[in-house]
Amino acid sequence: MATAAVEQYPARNTAAAAAAIELQQVEKVYRTDRIETVALSSLNLAVAEGELLAIMGPSGCGKSTLLHLMGLLDVPSRGRLLLGGRDMTTASDRERSRYRNATIGFVFQTFHLIPELSVLDNVELPLLYRRSTARERRRLALAALDRVSLSSRVHHYPAQLSGGQQQRVAVARAIVGEPRMLLADEPTGNLDSQMGDEIMALLEGLNQDGATVVMVTHDPRLAQRAHRTVRLFDGRQVQ
Amino acid sequence: MLKSHLKLALKVLWRRPFFTAVSLVGIGLTLLVLTVTTAVFDHIFAPYPPEVRQQRTLLVSFLELQGEHMRSRSWPGYRFLDSYGRGLPGVERMSIASLAGSAFSYVNGTRVRSYLKRTDAEFWRILAFAFVEGVPFGDDEVRSGSYVAVINETTRERFFGSGPALGRSVELDGQDYRVVGVVRDVPFLRLVPFADVWVPLTAQRGDGWRHELLGDMMGILLARGRKDFPAIRTEFASRLAGMDLSGTPYKSAYARPQSLLETVFEIMRVDRNAIGILAVLFFGFLALPVINLVNLNVSRALERASEIGVRRAFGASRRRLVAQFVLENVVLTLIGGLLAFAATELAMRALTASAVVPYGDFHVNLRIFGWALAFAVVFGVLSGAWPAWRLSRLHPVDALRGSMR
Repeated sequence: MATAAVEQYPARNTAAAAAAIELQQVEKVYRTDRIETVALSSLNLAVAEGELLAIMGPSGCGKSTLLHLMGLLDVPSRGRLLLGGRDMTTASDRERSRYRNATIGFVFQTFHLIPELSVLDNVELPLLYRRSTARERRRLALAALDRVSLSSRVHHYPAQLSGGQQQRVAVARAIVGEPRMLLADEPTGNLDSQMGDEIMALLEGLNQDGATVVMVTHDPRLAQRAHRTVRLFDGRQVQ
Repeated sequence: MLKSHLKLALKVLWRRPFFTAVSLVGIGLTLLVLTVTTAVFDHIFAPYPPEVRQQRTLLVSFLELQGEHMRSRSWPGYRFLDSYGRGLPGVERMSIASLAGSAFSYVNGTRVRSYLKRTDAEFWRILAFAFVEGVPFGDDEVRSGSYVAVINETTRERFFGSGPALGRSVELDGQDYRVVGVVRDVPFLRLVPFADVWVPLTAQRGDGWRHELLGDMMGILLARGRKDFPAIRTEFASRLAGMDLSGTPYKSAYARPQSLLETVFEIMRVDRNAIGILAVLFFGFLALPVINLVNLNVSRALERASEIGVRRAFGASRRRLVAQFVLENVVLTLIGGLLAFAATELAMRALTASAVVPYGDFHVNLRIFGWALAFAVVFGVLSGAWPAWRLSRLHPVDALRGSMR
């Protein structure tokens, strides 16, 4: 399997030579008592700093697994995973947590907002795991909400918002810590096309500001807007 | 961050009011039993007036005499305490007093029982009674065997109504005593100071009591400090080893100056085995609601799997999650603790009003509040730690899927 080229996107503040994300011969196997399921097999992939990458493929082909590995939410069964040139394959839970907090933002298909928390509190969540004051957290959260045009909804609760607004809150939460990398798992999967376009526009804007964006999607229209598309089938990269 | 976690903890509790109420009832009842027990212990053992020097007081409350084929164990008599208890190193004051025994009177044709305690003058110097009239009897009255008495407020009320008692006489077991002082009531459960009437040791017919090794007395030793306790005990034991038992059927004697707690345990025959059984019962009593709360917490956690996934995704380490969930549980148990504390206050008032314990003045105070708080925190940590640890071990991906695998 060929390793995808590490392209550079100089217009998007990408001076670093190392790839933002690099997977070398990565394999992911899920084991239960009797069954062994290969989710990803011999995957080699490099994502450049500032790249907007789409991952496509049929259900169960390993897209989300790949995203979880990139986001340090899961560990490969074999192979190496490098983030920003740093080998994270065997990093401890604490190191992975710290790295996620400092470097990675997540956007999920089902938003995963905490229903008991206000919009503002939801957005502040990643900052709780940093050494920042309440005032600083509030300032950054308000700025992130302003960026997704939700300044007027800061004291609302998730249940009081539309699906599109909830996903914008989720985007604000993902970017509040100013991560270098944004991982989005079917971010428009639960939205109508208009709202989906809005969210995509947000991700594009963030990418143009320098963030590396990796997005799992079923939607070819969205994939076309990415710099590059990786296609998976049965845990293997086919394009 | 603490504020954020507290805010969330309260909101999570509010999400399922029924579950929360059930949990709170269980927690509240458990903590109520613990807090009421603590309050009763506090009533018996805390250094309330007149026992303000209790921390440096030792009691000689038993004497065991061993013969070849017999053994006698009882409260000590005056002769034993007078011969072997005086002049111990590190003892600032020593008093000999009897147990409170019954004495009967007739007031307006009605037979009245009073608790009478015989003491020396040092008794009043060791214990800080609150006098509302007069003064205690002194060395002169004790030396001369004067028939004088200090009575408590209830006895004054019983004998003299609302008027003053000073200089008037109370008749007890056919003997008149002149009242020289009136003190506030002392609760029945305060072993050392309790009585209705206190009279000099010497104010009795005959002097057989002066020659008793075994009797109904207690020695009260006021040490200069707690650090003197070991030396006092060592010297006392050494004196007992050389005790003159000639003319008695006994060959050896055993007694030991003890704290009030040890003395009460001794009276109640609470030995090491009994303490072990009590400890097992205590932890058993605590374990059942803890296990119940653990189960409730684990089942409620299923609803929060997604939140755990999100927190892990955004950088929460396992340790942080454990801290968060334990904190949330402690918030729940603290609320239960506050409810239990309020219920304890009501229970204490009811206990006082019931007069089951004569002169019992059961109440809650800052010390009991502190214990209630400590119970709640310990309960919260015990019942929160395991579910929190389990939640923190959830795989982030499974958690995001809402799975508890």
